[in-house]
Amino acid sequence: MQLSFDAEVEDFRAEFAAFLDEHLPPAAEADRASQSSSDVPEWARRWQRLQFDHGWLLPGNPPEYGGRDATLVQQYVHLLELSRRRIYHSFNPQGVGIVAASLLSFGTEEQKRRWAVPILRAEITASLGMSEPGAGSDLASLRTRAVLDGDHFVVNGQKVWTSGAHDADVLLTFVRTDPDAPKHKGISVLLIPTATPGVTRRPFASIIGSHDVDFNEVFFEDVRVPAANLVGPLNEGWRVANGSLGHERTLLWLSFGERLDEFIRDFEPAGPLDEDAYATAVLDAYALRLLGSAALAQAARGEQDVAGLSVLKLLGSEAAQRALERALSSAGPDGLAHPALTAPYTHLQSETMLGSWFERYARSFAGTIAGGTSEIQRTIVAERVLGLPRR
Amino acid sequence: MLFEFDPDQRLWQGSVREVVAKECPPALVRAVADDGADTVALWKVYAGLGWTELTDPAEAVELAIVLEELGRATDPTPYLATMTQFAPLAPGAGEPERTGAAVLDGVTARRDGRGWVLEGTARHVLDGDRADRLAVVTGEGVFVVDAAEVTATRAAVFDPVLHVADVAFGGVRVGQEQRTGADPGRARHIALAGMAMTMVGACRRILDLTLEHVRTRHQFGAPIGSFQAVQHKAADMHVAVERAKALAYFAALTIAADDPRRRVAAAMAKAAAGECQSLVVRHGLQLFGAMGFTWENDLQFALKRALAGEQLLGGAAEHRALIAKECHAVEL
Ligand SMILES: Cc1cc2nc3c(=O)[nH]c(=O)nc-3n(C[C@H](O)[C@H](O)[C@H](O)COP(=O)(O)OP(=O)(O)OC[C@H]3O[C@@H](n4cnc5c(N)ncnc54)[C@H](O)[C@@H]3O)c2cc1C
Repeated sequence: MQLSFDAEVEDFRAEFAAFLDEHLPPAAEADRASQSSSDVPEWARRWQRLQFDHGWLLPGNPPEYGGRDATLVQQYVHLLELSRRRIYHSFNPQGVGIVAASLLSFGTEEQKRRWAVPILRAEITASLGMSEPGAGSDLASLRTRAVLDGDHFVVNGQKVWTSGAHDADVLLTFVRTDPDAPKHKGISVLLIPTATPGVTRRPFASIIGSHDVDFNEVFFEDVRVPAANLVGPLNEGWRVANGSLGHERTLLWLSFGERLDEFIRDFEPAGPLDEDAYATAVLDAYALRLLGSAALAQAARGEQDVAGLSVLKLLGSEAAQRALERALSSAGPDGLAHPALTAPYTHLQSETMLGSWFERYARSFAGTIAGGTSEIQRTIVAERVLGLPRR
Repeated sequence: MLFEFDPDQRLWQGSVREVVAKECPPALVRAVADDGADTVALWKVYAGLGWTELTDPAEAVELAIVLEELGRATDPTPYLATMTQFAPLAPGAGEPERTGAAVLDGVTARRDGRGWVLEGTARHVLDGDRADRLAVVTGEGVFVVDAAEVTATRAAVFDPVLHVADVAFGGVRVGQEQRTGADPGRARHIALAGMAMTMVGACRRILDLTLEHVRTRHQFGAPIGSFQAVQHKAADMHVAVERAKALAYFAALTIAADDPRRRVAAAMAKAAAGECQSLVVRHGLQLFGAMGFTWENDLQFALKRALAGEQLLGGAAEHRALIAKECHAVEL
């Protein structure tokens, strides 16, 4: 057990900090804020490219993919440094964090060159098409069909909740290629350019407000996708799905830590009830960091405990939700104001996380719903961590 | 920071577990509760293994590992009081084979010639009725007093294995050589972390017993542990234990490193342990059904140890109030 990082890790952090100090784009350059998960303004694209070119975008990757072969612990301090400065990692989070990562893990060399690198260099943006109207928590029941026809797949079906799809150039799309196989065994993954004929995207607003348009329904009508866009082996999409979400999960808990930190910095407790909730959030934030770093150290030893990460997601997402509910409640009638900002907007932050307490509270449900709901996480903890019998 | 046991600590934990399983089994705890069985032999085992010499704050994590296991086993000896309450107030007292307790308030020291006279009655002193020595905190400093000098009365408390006493000082004369120069503030951090660790251990035991019960108890033709309402309670218990355990070890680590965060870390550990026991006791007892409501079931020992910990050294709400005043940013 150690209270501080090794010198070699601190050197790494210092090098990154120096890079940030020198290259962070000034506010004056940021003429426009991102409007969706796949809307990356020109200035933010330049910034992401600069990070890629210097090996700081995803330091764990090799240099040709925007990294510097950093260790897991170094990747952790990289994210900690961003989080400490409240710098949003990428304005195309699913593209960089999940789609490109899946392509790098499961894609061909050609796919990496043609799609992963442009996503990482913010030349194109990507969204993630997993969920469907009939397939939420039970993702494996997805029904969007893809049928091989010569050297193309023909895709028919519908996705929903596809964040940023209306601004995305490509969708990593989970489709059923073998309807006769058991449900986990007949799924494949296709990279579908949104400009392909037959792809219709219908963006819709979220609970935050009619201006907050990130969700999409995506319809596929006889969409012809080159067979070369198959990511990973045919019918092994479930493995890619677990891999994709795995990428997201190893350090996903850190984002809940950020929400808690923001609360701790921005909330001014007024009175004993507020103070009590505030202290609880401090405990949660520390515990999350401690447990997260233990999980990280374990993964760094090559003993990644995937089910154990459910503990972190559950703890972090629910703690943030409790804290933010308290902040909203404590604001009284002022909390009704919407979308009055309660913290100054700076261009490098995710604007969505700086909104009113209402907005922050409402967004905390993304944490408890997306990426496996809290109920699903509890079942995973009970069955796979604690070994309770399945029904 | 990186928060993981190193290989030596894992080894230590393994050997402590083995000893505790063999020397402090549930049957012994039961015998102490039902028949007032003697715990001196068990104490001698701990002393013989060198566990009572873990008084250097630098060994706080190793001590915490012992305390977690003893909390899990509902240790019936005065180990917790000796190691985390007496020893930090009496550095250099030596004689690690002798037990100790701490008198934290209720006693005044009056200057008298070259020494002092101690007066007053301290309430709720952990192991005050059976410790060989007492470290007494007064406005004039901390004094070490032999148990023979005071009158202690054990109180009847809900935890049948716990010793809590009222200790009366009727003009006890002490001299400069009994004054320890310990800093009660620092000692308190160790006491808080120790109590938190004990509670974490007790909560782990409740969770273990509960898991065993819901795996084997069948209703409606299925193990009750396959019902989601049961599973989700168990999952929440696990999260609460992991959270409290992380903060308890963090406190131990800040003590070992003499890190300035140890004051807040100790408060966080005690607060989290209190929150943990609240959830774990409630769900654990609930999931046992009527079986958990009996004297005969060993669940009671861990439950009561966890609940008793909340009553001592300030409850969760008191510690949260301190944390709210002192914490405005998380830097790890
Ligand atoms: C902000 C946000 C962004 C998203 N972005 C994307 C995206 O970009 N791409 C994408 O593909 N998807 C996205 N999603 C969708 C997300 O993956 C799904 O919402 C999630 O998988 C849950 O599915 P569902 O919403 O259909 O809920 P359901 O599965 O219908 O669940 C509804 C309720 O039932 C409970 N429930 C369901 N099954 C069980 C069970 N077995 N046991 C106990 N309780 C159960 C759930 O816990 C939940 O409380 C996003 C969601 C949100 C909120």
